[in-house]
Amino acid sequence: MAENKQDKKKHYISAKESRQIAKENSKAIKYYEKRKKRKCNPDEYTTQMTDERNIIEFEDLHTYFFSDAGTVKAVNGVTFSIPAGSTVGVVGESGCGKSVTSLSLMQLVQAPSGQIVSGAIRFRSSLFKRDAHGKKIPVYETVIDQNGNEVVKTDAKGKPVIKRNELGGYTYEMEERVVDIAKMPIEDMRSIRGREISMIFQEPMTSLNPVFTIGNQLDEVGRLHIEGISKQKVKARSIEMLKLVGIADPEGVYKKYPHELSGGMRQRVMIAIALLCNPKLIVADEPTTALDVTIQAQILDLLREIKGKINGSIMLITHDLGVVAEMADYVVVMYAGKVIEMGTAEDIYDRPLHPYTIGLQKSKPTVDAEVDELYCIPGFVPNPINMPDYCYFRDRCEKCTAKCSGEYPKLIKVSPTHSVSCYLYEEQSEEK
Amino acid sequence: MVKYILKRLLLALLILFSVSIILYFLVRCMPMDFFDQQFAAAVGSGNMSEQDVLHIKALYGLDDNSFLGILKGYWSWLSGFLQGNMGHSFIFPASVEEVIKEKMGISFGISFVSLILELIIAIPLGIKCACNQYGKIDYTATILCMIGMAFPSFFLGNLLIKWLAVDLGWFDPMGGLVSSNLPQDASMMLRFGDMLWHLILPVTVFVVLNIGSIMRYTRTNTLEVLNADYIRTARAKGLSEGKVIYKHVFRNTMIPLITMLTFTLPTLFGGAMITEEVFNMPGIGQAAYQALQKGDVPLIMGYNMFIAALTVTGVLISDIMYAVVDPRVKLA
Repeated sequence: MAENKQDKKKHYISAKESRQIAKENSKAIKYYEKRKKRKCNPDEYTTQMTDERNIIEFEDLHTYFFSDAGTVKAVNGVTFSIPAGSTVGVVGESGCGKSVTSLSLMQLVQAPSGQIVSGAIRFRSSLFKRDAHGKKIPVYETVIDQNGNEVVKTDAKGKPVIKRNELGGYTYEMEERVVDIAKMPIEDMRSIRGREISMIFQEPMTSLNPVFTIGNQLDEVGRLHIEGISKQKVKARSIEMLKLVGIADPEGVYKKYPHELSGGMRQRVMIAIALLCNPKLIVADEPTTALDVTIQAQILDLLREIKGKINGSIMLITHDLGVVAEMADYVVVMYAGKVIEMGTAEDIYDRPLHPYTIGLQKSKPTVDAEVDELYCIPGFVPNPINMPDYCYFRDRCEKCTAKCSGEYPKLIKVSPTHSVSCYLYEEQSEEK
Repeated sequence: MVKYILKRLLLALLILFSVSIILYFLVRCMPMDFFDQQFAAAVGSGNMSEQDVLHIKALYGLDDNSFLGILKGYWSWLSGFLQGNMGHSFIFPASVEEVIKEKMGISFGISFVSLILELIIAIPLGIKCACNQYGKIDYTATILCMIGMAFPSFFLGNLLIKWLAVDLGWFDPMGGLVSSNLPQDASMMLRFGDMLWHLILPVTVFVVLNIGSIMRYTRTNTLEVLNADYIRTARAKGLSEGKVIYKHVFRNTMIPLITMLTFTLPTLFGGAMITEEVFNMPGIGQAAYQALQKGDVPLIMGYNMFIAALTVTGVLISDIMYAVVDPRVKLA
């Protein structure tokens, strides 16, 4: 009883505290919103990759939600990277921050309460080269004239002709630049969204705008990111994408409204939208959660197939270990906003180390094993406001030791690919 | 679609029929009697006998106030109505149809101008507020709109007349549609300008009173749509914030808004009794107000049936509009 009372007291916020929180929140939100809306030179957010093979590097990312009850550290120091051409699975239970990590990557965290507070998200981007006036530099078509010199081709009016790229749009000079998405203003972010990184969401039923046709919603992306493309070419591209994602009647679906399609079809349309501009990275945020099992398998097959075709990477967010096992090359396990274990898919499946990962593995239903009751990890995810500075899993952990009450364990490398954040494996650390 | 509309029209006839019965009985239950009032002096001075008054009442079917008498009166009104004859107004020297036709234009003009102004101000303001939820603009606009909504129309109207017309002399304190001292041979331009000058105050009252509800409605709907998954999808495509809001959000916000707007059809043509009376506007609202005061049964019936028909039409249009703006709605 006494304990209960104390517990209540802990969650109670006095009017004074509440005012204090509101004041601090509005100050913080104002600061971050201003930072997102500022205009700045691209050099300000240009950085270097630590490993040239990576396409994305998250480093000590913190994304907080400034709520009325206090600051929720949804992503609290996440560090991992996505090598080019690979599939990285991010696993964890509901509310562990995996979705917020992916939304941070797109700068789509629900503003104004959700903000990227610190850390870096480095992305190898190909940006348009700009001239002194900030204009894109077009590449002109060239012909060989009678003297054998290469000259710029001109049209009937004497204007130079801009070269067309394979999608039918104008070609501009591009430059490869490593950008820090966490520091980018939203305005600059827009050219990355949908063009270089695209996203597939969890809820296909509600992710398409109900009042526009599928064709309209597909074309929109093409018209936005492929400059100078003609109307017919956009439509052709959209229909080609619908065909690519395995829709049997692309012309028919093009004219339909979202409510006329099933959930699986809508998710295919979402994938088609994501693929339209040949992105380098597709972020799939629980793409199969809302679908039934047979459709799940089809969608996963499709994603795998497409990854081969576009030669990009996939960041797959899921709570389904089976899905990750099937799809991912690397696995990142998250718990309460932190990465607790990461490694290759084999590392995590065959040699799970962190007690939480082991628990997750055990709680997966299997067909062949006879069990009366499915295993479940005892306890609950801790309250995300005012997290203590010890291992967040301590209170639920079966292998908890005295050391666990100390500060939050660092990520320990137990093999070149496998690292875990747990005191149990301190002796196995490679760095020792 | 056609079948649906036909079905709805038949239903509308039934509704109008029921409405007319209720209306007629209510009107007859009013303690006001036009003829008693009109001939009170004549009866008092002995120029007319009670019998004469009763005889005149009988001509209009208003003599017997028992249930059967009212039913009989209703029957004579209905048979006239079905023949396209709504009777002759007692207080205006014209038939009811003519009164409505003549006065409707003025009311429609005022209401239409006000509605357009309301929409132009309220919808963008509502969207702006939703995009800056709990921001400075949001709070300021909300508080101002609430104050506007809270005003009774007669109070605000009289307040404006007192301040702007009587004290400051910017407007005509007599109200009305044209100045009383406007020369008969005034040019069209002058006449039109004079009319506009007279319309400013009533239109202001309409706008101030109605802007709040439309603005709040837009704001709530926009907020709901802004949190939708498909808006996140639109942002994930790389669309600019303006495009996200004015293409993806706006179309979805419009769905409930349009249905709400079609409900304003009755007020659009039907005028506003109190505001028109306060500003002495010779519109249909004022006519209805005077008819009510004096017990002009044919005009009250005609006016109320007109409003009822507009309401029924408004609802029907709103249902059809639903199917137009929202592809998910199919009328069958």
